[in-house]
Amino acid sequence: MTEILTLFLLGLFLPLFPLSMIFNWLLGRTGEPLLRALLLLLWPQAGLLLISQLDFPVPDWFLLLALASSGLYAFRALALRDVGEWSGFLATSSWAFLWIPVHAGTAFMNVQLYALGFSVPLVMLAFLGAGLERRFGAACTGLYGGLAESIPRFSTILVLVVLAIIATPLFPAFSIMLVTITQAMSVMPAVAAGIAVVWLLWSWAGALLLQGLVTGTPDDSRPADLHTGAILGYALILVLLLVAGIAGMGVLL
Amino acid sequence: MEKIILLVPLIPLLSALLTQLLSPRMGRQVARISVFASLLTFLFAVAALWLVLAVPGSHGLHLFGTSALLLLDPLSSLMATVIAGISLIVHIYSVRYMAEETGYARFFILLDLMTTALLVMVAAGDLLTLLVAWHLIGVLLYFLLGQNTRDKSAWRYAFWTKITYRIGDMPLVIAAVLLYQAYDTWSLPVIFEQLMAAPEAHKVLGLRLPDVVAALIAFSAYARSAQFFVHTWLPYTMSGPTPVSALMHAGIVNAGGFVINRFAPVFMQSSDVLHWVFIVGLFTAVVGSMLMLTQNDIKKSLGYSTMGQMGFMIMECGIGAFSLAIYHLIAHGLFKGTMFLGAGGVINSARKSDYVPKEDLYTFIVERRPARQRLPWLTMAAVTLAVPVFILVSTHWLISQDYFQKQSAVVLLFFGWITGAQLIFSSYQMGTRNIRRMVILAIVSFAVVVLGYTLISHAFDLFLYPDPVFREQLYAAADIDIIWFDALIVLVTLIIIFGWFITFLADRDGGRKKRYASNLWLMFYALTSREFYLPHLYTLMTRRLLKIAERLNVWMRWI
Repeated sequence: MTEILTLFLLGLFLPLFPLSMIFNWLLGRTGEPLLRALLLLLWPQAGLLLISQLDFPVPDWFLLLALASSGLYAFRALALRDVGEWSGFLATSSWAFLWIPVHAGTAFMNVQLYALGFSVPLVMLAFLGAGLERRFGAACTGLYGGLAESIPRFSTILVLVVLAIIATPLFPAFSIMLVTITQAMSVMPAVAAGIAVVWLLWSWAGALLLQGLVTGTPDDSRPADLHTGAILGYALILVLLLVAGIAGMGVLL
Repeated sequence: MEKIILLVPLIPLLSALLTQLLSPRMGRQVARISVFASLLTFLFAVAALWLVLAVPGSHGLHLFGTSALLLLDPLSSLMATVIAGISLIVHIYSVRYMAEETGYARFFILLDLMTTALLVMVAAGDLLTLLVAWHLIGVLLYFLLGQNTRDKSAWRYAFWTKITYRIGDMPLVIAAVLLYQAYDTWSLPVIFEQLMAAPEAHKVLGLRLPDVVAALIAFSAYARSAQFFVHTWLPYTMSGPTPVSALMHAGIVNAGGFVINRFAPVFMQSSDVLHWVFIVGLFTAVVGSMLMLTQNDIKKSLGYSTMGQMGFMIMECGIGAFSLAIYHLIAHGLFKGTMFLGAGGVINSARKSDYVPKEDLYTFIVERRPARQRLPWLTMAAVTLAVPVFILVSTHWLISQDYFQKQSAVVLLFFGWITGAQLIFSSYQMGTRNIRRMVILAIVSFAVVVLGYTLISHAFDLFLYPDPVFREQLYAAADIDIIWFDALIVLVTLIIIFGWFITFLADRDGGRKKRYASNLWLMFYALTSREFYLPHLYTLMTRRLLKIAERLNVWMRWI
């Protein structure tokens, strides 16, 4: 009974479908950006804390369920227009992969860092989404567009954050994905191939999100761009992410 | 000495950072930094090539005390020189060409970053560095093609490019992971050494590791080099700025040929993969050339021309002529880059005169020019046969006595022959006022093509793969059963003879076609001019997928 309850909670916090719907429902109901950020940061960490209490090995079929959950949310993200929902789906899709290093017996501290590597850019997107809501009333693709011209500094940060989320090289998620594929290959090569496909879906979803916001002709409204302090803050976190990503590559090598 | 290979990609990276930092102060003058850095990069790349020529062999530089490795070898130094040279020309051209565009500084930053990524890719001596550079090239190209942020169409096709590149990234990632698992290292020289020592040591799902890895790398190369079925992005990316098109067609799209060369030891140990590479390349070359001829949009036509050339390049790899593929990608890069950069000038001239030749009767009576003549078809057919025989004999004498005992050499000669025959066909159809000049030009061009294929291939072989045993094995890996080989040679000969026979018939009937032949021709033309409906099919599939995703979201209440 305790085992089932533990697995249930694990499926909730390291989201596996259909329990993943609870996280996304909760994220959708959370309007405050700070709360959203906390949710995105702490949710998988809670799952990892539970895993450390697990006294039996993770069954192999969990990897298939994790891959299916991740694939489902990555695929569904293709049709999303709301930035908040998009970040929730990408969070679900990426966190589900944490099951693979857990299954491979990776050191607990490392898996925590992997979760952080996935979460930090999502937290940044939560704040950027709030910024869009403040400026335009909604953080939605296809409604306004042309941000590259109207608020160029904001859109530069947005582009870099989305690139970090979709595991572009030099950001930590890239190294994490490589580790995940390597570990999956030794258990089930088909899962490794599946992870690569999910990675491709992330790129697709990311490109659609960016094209719906950054490109196009801006409207007549003149929204304020990011102020210097905010830019420095975002840039600092991005540089830290890059350093962490390069360090991650160094560890792999 | 090895440090120079780190310096080459480091200069454009620093230039990108400086351009970003100084652009608010310097305005459009900031491009000077970028151009100067490109010049420096080119000079260092030339120096690297010179060093490799002076001290032959492969030298490596480990980065930051890790196993991240940059290689200074014939392949990396040659490719770095080509990339740096093309990048320099594109930089200089862009200074004025992009002057009135928005995002001027951003363009030069992206151009510098792209140069860095390309230079790192060619020098990468470990799988991780290669993967990083390979992936980044796709991302940077996406933003370069979408330089004009208002142009929705440019972004749409930039997206096509990005997604095709990502599809091509996946097999390379899987191949890298498989190699890492088998040999417990990311270092390419170490992997190749162990693979050569014991090629049968590892299996993947019951298949030989070299076969699986070679197939995966080949697929990656197909996507990057626009081989048939993953080619649709290439002809549609013309909405991007002209300098980007030049860089893309001259230095990015040919990465497929490079990566196959980089993994030559893996392909050498594979069994049938090279034959498939040959078939895919051949098919792409034929289809690309056909599509090029049927497009009425000049830019799309240029895109398909590149596709055809990339098919040739991949096909050359398929017969084991890896070094010839490198020569091909360099030659194609230079000529296609020139075409794109000259496109603006051509358009400008076309506005003044369309250069459409007047009708023959008009030029003869009004302009008093002599009428155009066609060369006798029998002479031209004889030339197509006589020149290769002469070159066969002379090359046999020049290079080595057993050169043409090898299948690949014979296949190469046939490439030259086919290309030359196509050239003669074109000359024959053109008609001319100076018949003697045309004959001489045709023979000289034909000789250059056939000699180019044989002699230059040999020179590149000696530089890129100095070990004769390795070269032998590389060609041997591409050999096919002698009966099949002879059958193919006979088939190609028959095709060329058939071509001349059709020409003879057309000449005799005065260009009239029978009705059924006309209808068939029309149907075929319609199909090719619509690009076999492949772009439509892919668009339809994409829309369907998005629809399904949307339907799923509705069912699951968007959570």
